[in-house]
Amino acid sequence: MAPPSTLLLRSCSCLALSHPPGRRRASPLAPPPNPSTIVASFSCYNKTHQKLFSKSGGSALASISGSANRSRALAVDSDQRGSAVAVETEKKAVKYHFVVANAKFMLDEEEHFKELLCERLRLYGERQKEQDFWLVIEPNFLQNFPKLTARLKRPAVALVSTNATWITFMKLRLDRVLSEQFEAESLEEALASNPVDLKFEKPENWVAPYSKYEYGWWEPFLPPQASKKDA
Amino acid sequence: MAAEMALLKPISFKPETSPLKTSAKFSRTTYRFSPKMAATQAKETTKKSGKAAIKETLLAPRFYTTDFDEMETLFNTEINKNLNQSEFEALLQEFKTDYNQTHFVRNKEFKEAADKIQGPLRQIFVEFLERSCTAEFSGFLLYKELGRRLKKTNPVVAEIFSLMSRDEARHAGFLNKGLSDFNLALDLGFLTKARKYTFFKPKFIFYATYLSEKIGYWRYITIYRHLKENPEYQVYPIFKYFENWCQDENRHGDFFSALMKAQPQFLNDWKAKLWSRFFCLSVYVTMYLNDCQRTAFYEGIGLNTKEFDMHVIIETNRTTARIFPAVLDVENPEFKRKLDRMVEINQKLLAVGESDAPALVKNIQRVPLIAALASELLAAYLMPPIESGSVDFAEFEPQLVY
Repeated sequence: MAPPSTLLLRSCSCLALSHPPGRRRASPLAPPPNPSTIVASFSCYNKTHQKLFSKSGGSALASISGSANRSRALAVDSDQRGSAVAVETEKKAVKYHFVVANAKFMLDEEEHFKELLCERLRLYGERQKEQDFWLVIEPNFLQNFPKLTARLKRPAVALVSTNATWITFMKLRLDRVLSEQFEAESLEEALASNPVDLKFEKPENWVAPYSKYEYGWWEPFLPPQASKKDA
Repeated sequence: MAAEMALLKPISFKPETSPLKTSAKFSRTTYRFSPKMAATQAKETTKKSGKAAIKETLLAPRFYTTDFDEMETLFNTEINKNLNQSEFEALLQEFKTDYNQTHFVRNKEFKEAADKIQGPLRQIFVEFLERSCTAEFSGFLLYKELGRRLKKTNPVVAEIFSLMSRDEARHAGFLNKGLSDFNLALDLGFLTKARKYTFFKPKFIFYATYLSEKIGYWRYITIYRHLKENPEYQVYPIFKYFENWCQDENRHGDFFSALMKAQPQFLNDWKAKLWSRFFCLSVYVTMYLNDCQRTAFYEGIGLNTKEFDMHVIIETNRTTARIFPAVLDVENPEFKRKLDRMVEINQKLLAVGESDAPALVKNIQRVPLIAALASELLAAYLMPPIESGSVDFAEFEPQLVY
C-alpha cells in the first residue's frame, strides 16, 4: 500500500486544474491528513461534514458564499506547472461541467447515484479535500441551454462539478443524462437555482428486500446556501 | 468479479498464455496468497479446503482466459485512431482515486462471529466464502494478465486493468482471511495451476464480465441493505463491508461498458443483440440455479432466495439495458415461471447424479432432463426481448426525454 502522503499528492494533482472560484486551495500539496481528524464512517445523513471542512483548514463551505477572502496566493505544484507560485485573480471565470436529467431519475430512481455521491463525500472528508461537486435542483444555468431543456422533464436536477473528468465518468455511469459545460465567475452564480418542492410517488411495486433511501438524502450535496435555507 | 457465469460449456481449456506468470507476480504483491496462506492453515484444516477437492461442475465459478493478441489489436491506439479515450481516462482517474484503499481492515468481530456459526450453516458459510473468493480471484488473474499484455498498445486501458486486479486481489484476500476465521484457507496458487480455464473471445469476455460485475454489485448491495435493516441476521461481519466493496464491482462494470462503447461493432448489429440476450440468460439462469441449491445460506441471513434472486436479476437487467443493445423481458412473470421450472429440472438432474445407479443408467436418465432444460432455456431465450442500449448509440435516443 502506498504511503498516505503519496496518495494525497496524487489525488490532489488530478484536481489541481480546476477549483471553484470562491475558494482557492492554498496549495495542492496540502499537509498529509492528520489521522486523528480523519473520520472513518461518513454518513450522508448528517451534516457534520460542514464543520469538518471548516475545521480542517479548508473552510470550504463556511466561507464559500462570502466574498471577503476571494483572492489568495496559489502555490502550484511545481512538477505540474513549472512555476512555483501564481497569484489567482478573483474575477477569473471557471468552467463547470454538469450532467442533468429529471429529478425523479436523479434523486429517486437511480439509487446507486446516491451511493456514489456519498462515497465521494466520505473520501473527501477522509482526505480533507474541498467539495467540488453539487446537486442543483432546477438550476438557473439551464436557461442558457434551450436544446437541453427542450428534451428535459421538469423539475430537473443537475450534478455540477469543476472536475470535468469526473463528470465524464458520471455521464458514463448514468447514461440517461445530458451533459454540458459553462463558465461562471463565482460559485453562487454557477449554482444559482430556483429550487422547487420535490415529490416522488411511491413505486407501485417495490419488491426489493430493503426500503428505498430516505427522501432528502441529497441535502448534503445541495449548494451551501440552499441547504442553509432548508435548515 | 463477484458473480460467475458458467452455464456455457468451455470452448477450450488451454490458456493461450500461461496464467502462472501472473501468479508469480501476484505473490510479490502485498497479497501473498500461496505461500503465506498455506502457512496459516490451522490445525483443523481438512483436505476439502480447496487443495484436494476442486469440483469442476457446470455451475462452479470459472477462470477465464481470452485471445490476448486480439485484445491488443482492439485497443491499439495506432490501429484505432478514433478510439474514444476520454471515458477511459475518466475511469482511470476513478480507479486511481482508490476509494476503498483503507476499507478492508478486519477486526476481532470476525473470528468471534465465525465461532458462533455452527451446525449446517457453518458449512454453507464456508462454501459461500470459497466460491466468492474463487470468483474474485479469477477476476484478479484475468485483469492482471490483460494489464500486462496491453501495456504497450494502450497504457491507459492497461493501467485500468491493473488497478481492477488490485481491487480483485483485495477482495479475494479479504474473503480468504474470512475463511481463516473458519480455520480454512484457499490455496490460490494451487487453484491458479489446477483449475481449468474457460476460453472466451474478447467480445464474449466483455459481455460476460460486464454482467458478472454488475450482477455482483446488485447482489452485494442487496445483501448489505437488507442486513442493515435487519441486523438480527447480521451473523458475520463481512457483510458490513459490502456497501463500499460493491462500488468497486459497479465501477468495474462501467469499465466494460466503456470498452464496448469503444468497439461499437460489439453493440450495434443483430448479432450483438442475439449475443446480449444469450449472455443475460446464461448469467441469470446460472445464478438462479446456483442459489436455489443453496437456499439455506440466503435463509440463514433472512432472505427469501427466489425473491432475492429475482430482485437482483431485474435490477441487473435494468442496468444492463444502459449498454447492451437488447435485454430479456425479465419483468414478464413468464420469465420467472420458466426459471422455476428450470430449478425443478435441475433438482432432478442433481438427484440422478447422486443416485447409486450405474453410470450408463444415469446418463440415460439424464437425457430427457437435459432436453427439458434445453427447451426451457430456448423458450426463455426466444421470449420477445427489450430493445435497449446506451443513449450514445441507441436508435430510440432522439425520442428520449431525459
